[in-house]
Amino acid sequence: MDFIVELIASSLRMTVPILLTGIGAVYTERAGVVNIGLEGMMIVGSFWGALGSFYFGPYVGFLMGMSAGMALALIHAVASVTFRVNQIVSGVALNILAFGSSRFLSQVFFKMATTSPHVKGLRPVKIPVLGDTSPIIVLAFILVPFTAFILEKTVFGLRLKSVGENPLAADTLGVNVFKFKYAGVLLSGLLAGLAGTYLSLEHTGMYVEGMTQGKGFIALAAMIFGNWTPYGTMWASLLFGFAESLSFRVVESNVIPYQFIKMIPYLLTLAVLAGVVRKSTPPAADGIPYEREMH
Amino acid sequence: MKKNYKILTLKILAPFIAIFLAAFFSSFVILTINKSPLEVFYTMFKFSFRRLDSIAIILYNSTPLIFSGLAVAIAFRMGLFNIGVEGQYLIGTFLAAFVGFSLEGLPPFIHIPLLILSGMLGGMIWAYLPIYLKIRKGVHEVISTIMLNYIAYSLIHYLISEIFIDRSQKLLIRTPKLAPSALMPKLHGVLALFGIELPKHVYLNWFFVIAVLLAIAIYYIVYYTPFGFELRAVGQNPEASRTAGIDKEKVFYKGFLLSGAIAGLVGLSDLMSYFGYMDLDFPRGYGFDGIAVALIGQNDPFGIILASILFGFLRRGAEGIQTLLNVPMDTIVILQALMIITIVIINKIVGDYIKRLEKKGAR
Amino acid sequence: MEKAIVLKNITKRFPGIVANDNINLEINKGEIHAIVGENGAGKSTLMKILAGLYQPDEGEIYVFGKKEKINSPNRAIELGIGMVHQHFMLVGRFSVLENIILGSEKKKGITIDWENARQVIKELCDLYNFSVDIDAKVEDISVGMAQRVEILKVLYRGADILVFDEPTATLAPQEVKELFVNLRKLKEEGKTIIFISHKLDEVLEIADRVTVLRRGKVIGTVFANETTKEELARMMVGKPVLLKLDKEEVKKGDIILTVENLYLRSESGQILLEGINFNIRSGEIYGIAGVEGNGQRELAEAIMGLRAISEGEIKLVGESIKNLSIRERRSKGIAFIPEDRHKQGLVLPMKVWENVILGLHRKREFIRYPFLNVEKIQKFARGIVDKYNVMLSSINQPVEGLSGGNQQKVILGRELSQDPILVIAAQPTRGLDIGASEFVYTRLLSLREQGKAILLISADLDEVLSLSDRIGVMYKGKIVAEFKPEETTLEQIGLYMLGVYTDKDGETA
Repeated sequence: MDFIVELIASSLRMTVPILLTGIGAVYTERAGVVNIGLEGMMIVGSFWGALGSFYFGPYVGFLMGMSAGMALALIHAVASVTFRVNQIVSGVALNILAFGSSRFLSQVFFKMATTSPHVKGLRPVKIPVLGDTSPIIVLAFILVPFTAFILEKTVFGLRLKSVGENPLAADTLGVNVFKFKYAGVLLSGLLAGLAGTYLSLEHTGMYVEGMTQGKGFIALAAMIFGNWTPYGTMWASLLFGFAESLSFRVVESNVIPYQFIKMIPYLLTLAVLAGVVRKSTPPAADGIPYEREMH
Repeated sequence: MKKNYKILTLKILAPFIAIFLAAFFSSFVILTINKSPLEVFYTMFKFSFRRLDSIAIILYNSTPLIFSGLAVAIAFRMGLFNIGVEGQYLIGTFLAAFVGFSLEGLPPFIHIPLLILSGMLGGMIWAYLPIYLKIRKGVHEVISTIMLNYIAYSLIHYLISEIFIDRSQKLLIRTPKLAPSALMPKLHGVLALFGIELPKHVYLNWFFVIAVLLAIAIYYIVYYTPFGFELRAVGQNPEASRTAGIDKEKVFYKGFLLSGAIAGLVGLSDLMSYFGYMDLDFPRGYGFDGIAVALIGQNDPFGIILASILFGFLRRGAEGIQTLLNVPMDTIVILQALMIITIVIINKIVGDYIKRLEKKGAR
Repeated sequence: MEKAIVLKNITKRFPGIVANDNINLEINKGEIHAIVGENGAGKSTLMKILAGLYQPDEGEIYVFGKKEKINSPNRAIELGIGMVHQHFMLVGRFSVLENIILGSEKKKGITIDWENARQVIKELCDLYNFSVDIDAKVEDISVGMAQRVEILKVLYRGADILVFDEPTATLAPQEVKELFVNLRKLKEEGKTIIFISHKLDEVLEIADRVTVLRRGKVIGTVFANETTKEELARMMVGKPVLLKLDKEEVKKGDIILTVENLYLRSESGQILLEGINFNIRSGEIYGIAGVEGNGQRELAEAIMGLRAISEGEIKLVGESIKNLSIRERRSKGIAFIPEDRHKQGLVLPMKVWENVILGLHRKREFIRYPFLNVEKIQKFARGIVDKYNVMLSSINQPVEGLSGGNQQKVILGRELSQDPILVIAAQPTRGLDIGASEFVYTRLLSLREQGKAILLISADLDEVLSLSDRIGVMYKGKIVAEFKPEETTLEQIGLYMLGVYTDKDGETA
């Protein structure tokens, strides 16, 4: 019994960074902007979150982590929405920028390139069965119905989706295409930054270089698996979280070399995408820069 | 044809503007640690160009980047993103290392080409899966290649630390040493004929020459062969290419495997001259540098050579600022990332402008 | 009389072209005012200026007597100007309701007030006698209904001035009639209508006044009941045009193309082509008429090998080609002039000489192993440029810099250079001006005289009727009727196109 509860609890902990970033991915992709830079936004989130918490405590940490994610997202929006450059190229560049700048600043502030000292997280909340739980875990799961509500019931959601499906149509109806694309991208940066901060403050208690381990990309895969919907993304994230948590038990059992265990999330991502992509339907104008004046 | 000169000038100017802007923006990062950006950039130049051997080191640094940039550019030409050069070269390097340390007694003129072929084969194997998944299953190559990079890291880790570990070493985790016949000769001998004497600690080797020759070959392949024609046609309009009877999938397979084969060469200069073995700290990140190199070189083979030399210089300069000014080497990583962003934005602006100029000529 | 819109000296330039040149125009309140002109005459630029999508470089706009700046689509809507676009501006995956309210949603608390929206739209439908299914997804509805959704969109926003851009381009004749009923009803309710078109018959039928544009300039405004089709045509092109083509009698030869019992299903299993049967002889033009989206495109692509067929047989000179690749079919002598020349016909950023050998680049004559024989290819390209009189500055120029007509000539030159036996021409004059269209017509007729078999697919019924030797009418993936042009009328074809008749005897479905 304890084993099962612990497995569930650890699955949830593993799920949260993927879920938060995946929900972010829903916002940006429904607005029609592909964001490969989510990984980088998680990286800066994990670094700046740790930095903020180290000097000013966890609340400031979260604020700084989310702001850093958003700042990176702003660059992505400027490059890919305003200047209409290739969204994948911009995303890849941001990942490199996040890696380089975090390493640089880590040497400046923590005097080490790859790790920070221990940093404080938020006070846990008590949850029946699971016991002490990070409030961010609760928040992540509240965000799922909240996002569904935003997308399905509100003016903001309808307009956000319209710029991802047919920006020209939205434009002719007076919807500010650029504003909503910016909103989608910035929200994704905010959530990826939050996910990164969760990793350093709540999950590990310190910043470690490379601690995101490709979770930003996995979150994208989870969103695709979830067919660009918040609930679908949640189920897919739970699958990834469960697989990762299960793989830790396998490591302990020492049957399979741990390097192979480490491959599991990535192999699972490949398998899931290979099985599902043909059946999924991205927003009609996903990844296509919008340009108004054409002749 | 004044217009053509104008277009040419703009195209050549674009990377320089981008580099300048990137340097400008990264100055702010340098300012955060209370250093003078001008001093940092000056030190980079001074440190890099003060001696002849330093220039040779820059060329040595640029060697893997030329391969990497070419690999990325071939895929770009087809409209595909090979973010997986990283994993492809690690696998290629390992396969070459395996052939290097397991075979002995071969003459170098057989052993060295054998390593090169194994490297290419390794890269091709790792490139096959993403292109297969793309064509058969519709998986976007960006995500699959990134996943395969992580898988390659773990796989190499396993192979080096568990299977092929050099048992004669007590503390170090690495493969056995390559046979002497598998090491690539340096360029010192040839350069000495021209009166250029390089010290021993410089590892500039024949791979630099191979890289330059390969770039020239790629230029002719892309612009002047039916295959290169198909590559570009598919990249710029897959639908029209298919309608014209070009088998897009075949082009994708051939092009991506070519990209992978070139990627397999990326790590060989380091492996076969500087290291002579593969360990867990074997240089990483060349794959990502290749993306920047390809973009700054405008996907043009000669542009890629120049961009690689630029990056080789940055790397050399970074060592200088780290030792002399105590500025972290990662400054250049930031600079490179900013260069990617500024170059694509400027290319877009210049491209739109050129399009307008050309339209003007049509009426 | 009150003026709804007055344009004074409107000029709009694009790089290398003056799209609107000192336009002066007055639209009366409550009239249906047609604006006609050839493609490229500046109609759609003018419309986009009214829609707030483009800003004029010079000139003034008055709306209901007040000088206004229409600097955004929002502003146009505020001023009561509503656009009904030619290419519907609809979000396929949204419902009709969502499409109508998008951009003008009313809120209840923090959510959208769906009930109110539903009510308002229902009232509008009742007032104007529109029939629409509010909850249907737009990707599932017919072209006619999609157009009503577009009209409802602007009415929902309280538009008083409705601008229709080529509203009949994709409609069948009967749907056009229904649209005209709707337009008259709108006029009765006091709306002002601007009707942009190049179809003179329709303009004369519906409009009160007609303004003619040519090369960005206003040529004149006339009352519809005081003018004739010939006069308007003269104003449009500046010289008398031949509306009748010389079609010589050609002796039909052997059967070149046979299509037997052809079925095609989409990936999701939807039937796109259902039991298609027809053949084409040499020296014959077989025309396909139909409302767009009834399988014409799929038929052409199936014959070309761009889509795999589910059942049936396709034969070229008696030999089955259904299992051949696109390249093999081309080498057997099929030429293809695709419907969308930018997407399917050309690689826009590549040079003209490169586009001229697209698909022919592996021909032995163009290879000097292992390289392309650039000298020979350029000579070949120059030959085509001369023969087809392609206007360009250099064959090294990217093909995207050429005008639409010249791009089409590049495609024609390439496709006809290999002496095909079957030519598939899909919408071959779409987007071309009258001069370029005539060029295409004479080429097609001369191919016919040379004894080629030609499959002509066109949404322009006039074109199909005047070029074809036989006409097949497509409806919902079937050829529902076949005619000789001299034995039928536009109206009859229209009834088949809409599925009112489903078999040759004219039985009502």
